[in-house]
Amino acid sequence: MSQFRRDPITGRWIIVDITEPKTPETFELHPQTKKGGVCPFCPGNEHMTPPEIEAIRHGNSAPNTPGWMVRVVSNKFPALRIEGNLDRRGIGVYDMCNGVGAHEVIIETPDHYKDLADLSQGEIRNVIFKFRSRSLDLEKDARFRYILIFKNHGAQAGASLEHTHTQLVALPIVPKRVQEELKGAEIYFNYKERCVFCDMIAQEQEDKIRIVSENQNFIAFCPFVPRFAFETWILPKMHDQHFKSIDDRRVDDMAGILKDVLVRIKKVLNDPPYNFIIHTAPIRDGRNEEFHWHLEIMPKLVSVAGFEWGSGFYINPTAPEVAAKYLKDAGI
Amino acid sequence: MPELRKDPIIGRWVIISVERAMRPNDFKVSHAEDGEEDFCPFCEGHEDHTPPEIFAMRRPGSERNKPGWDTRVVPSISGRFTIHGNLERRGIGMYDVMNPIGAHEVIIESPTHYIDISQMDVDKLELALDTAVLRIVDLERDQRFKYCLLFKNHGARAGGSKTTRHVRSQIIATPVTPTRVKEELRGSRIYYQYKERCLFCDIIRQELESGIRVVVDSMHMVAITPFASRFPFEIWILPKKHCADFINIQRDELKDLARVMKIVFSKLYKGLNDPPYNYMLHTAPFRREKRSGYWLTIKEDYHWHIEVTPRITQVAGFEWGSGFYINPTPPEDAAKYLREIDVTI
Repeated sequence: MSQFRRDPITGRWIIVDITEPKTPETFELHPQTKKGGVCPFCPGNEHMTPPEIEAIRHGNSAPNTPGWMVRVVSNKFPALRIEGNLDRRGIGVYDMCNGVGAHEVIIETPDHYKDLADLSQGEIRNVIFKFRSRSLDLEKDARFRYILIFKNHGAQAGASLEHTHTQLVALPIVPKRVQEELKGAEIYFNYKERCVFCDMIAQEQEDKIRIVSENQNFIAFCPFVPRFAFETWILPKMHDQHFKSIDDRRVDDMAGILKDVLVRIKKVLNDPPYNFIIHTAPIRDGRNEEFHWHLEIMPKLVSVAGFEWGSGFYINPTAPEVAAKYLKDAGI
Repeated sequence: MPELRKDPIIGRWVIISVERAMRPNDFKVSHAEDGEEDFCPFCEGHEDHTPPEIFAMRRPGSERNKPGWDTRVVPSISGRFTIHGNLERRGIGMYDVMNPIGAHEVIIESPTHYIDISQMDVDKLELALDTAVLRIVDLERDQRFKYCLLFKNHGARAGGSKTTRHVRSQIIATPVTPTRVKEELRGSRIYYQYKERCLFCDIIRQELESGIRVVVDSMHMVAITPFASRFPFEIWILPKKHCADFINIQRDELKDLARVMKIVFSKLYKGLNDPPYNYMLHTAPFRREKRSGYWLTIKEDYHWHIEVTPRITQVAGFEWGSGFYINPTPPEDAAKYLREIDVTI
């Protein structure tokens, strides 16, 4: 038996199996294997990437040489270009503009054979510091409206290089998916005078059955309306629309919970391909106070098919209550 | 310089790589994940291996659930939807749920074990489309349903089954209008209110005039690679004559649609080495009398069409997080390449 569930933020419906959920053993899982070989993200190959923008380094090692812990470079094959103006224009019924933007790569560790989940809390903390400093730096560019931080882990999730990294894209327009969330949060706020995400946290803490992990400042749960099996969200308990405003103490807690959740996913699902995305409010926009930034992790266990693409409706074979139980009981 | 292009219907932006455009040979279409078992439950003669048929186009004298059919419709065995009962919308705290009322049917498009539309004869393809029309008309009579989606998953990477590749499409009738459909309806309505013209008709006119994104220009149908294509070699097939509901298609249009689909899928098969793909029929939702105020101008502002999306690139974190797509093949290049592929039908 399945159930239709409606996402309280975007109004999207999903169909989720609640009586015969698909369990981790029944997915076709192939752990990601690393082939090695020449890698532009490995120490000693710094010349193979565009010059570094920022790095956290040991001692006083020089830029673009080994001795770094986290390194930020421009994407060698950027989807968008940093030079030029937007130049919005129309062609008959169509609208377009130049592909202006920034596309950067945060190399999380010099170790080719480690994944984000294998790093220590301190190392992940350094990675999150870079997410924050790059966000703060790029928002100074008046052409940009949104900063998207995301990770593709494994070839099936779109990773083209196996050395663990996160990407950051600064965009001249607010993406559609973000606008939908902002609008949903605003409608909810106008009706209830409360934040929809804060309400979700409160209800999850009461229900308990979907919580995966929790620490002083963060909570991780499988959302009531997940599009994907084992989808997990990490939210700061304190209401804030911007990721960039996170303070050092909370970076610590975020690193802790991110590691905890990634290790659980890796263990329970045999190192599945996944994406994670930080959802935050647009830059240079005083509004959106009703939004609440968070991080969404989406393991890629089932393929998205014609029905999902055509309808925007998702069919999820694993109820979040079941997924949360597996992740919680991972025994790490 | 890459270009950012805006989809005129729902306002979705797409990044098109213009300089480093990827050619068909740059994509490695792998069939490693495709596979099927020896026994196919959808082949003629195996009727007792599917649930009892809902409908079939049968040759004279043949019996239900026996051989002698051209197309056959059976319930899906996925079991995610139930046709019995009521919706019972209810709340659980701040969340909303309802029962999984819906219909999920499989249209077996051929008694022969073809694995792609490109292998079918045009007149058989016409029967398969006829069957889809009849099923949608029938499902519309069920007052609980608001929408009916016709789609196909071809190849494992497009969500196709690993049991059999037997050519088929699927229909799912849902009790709510899907968000994706609502977005299109809203977008075309806004355009109509502003211009008093159908947006899709305007797109067709502009595409036929410029010709650079046209793949097939036929008597009643046109196949184009849309200006803001999300995926390399994405193709839309639209009727030239304005019409909101697919089920109102005329006989000569249906014949032409079958022909255009045969050409389009043969070009994809030949030009991209049988790529995995999905196609989805976008048509207006069912309209009930009580809802006359709702989508009042739907007949004028909406225009049914079929979207074909090859799955030759991975959708990654960026796309999921932003709803923005990065397409490495400009639609103009894709259309030119597809036009030049010679297919005989």
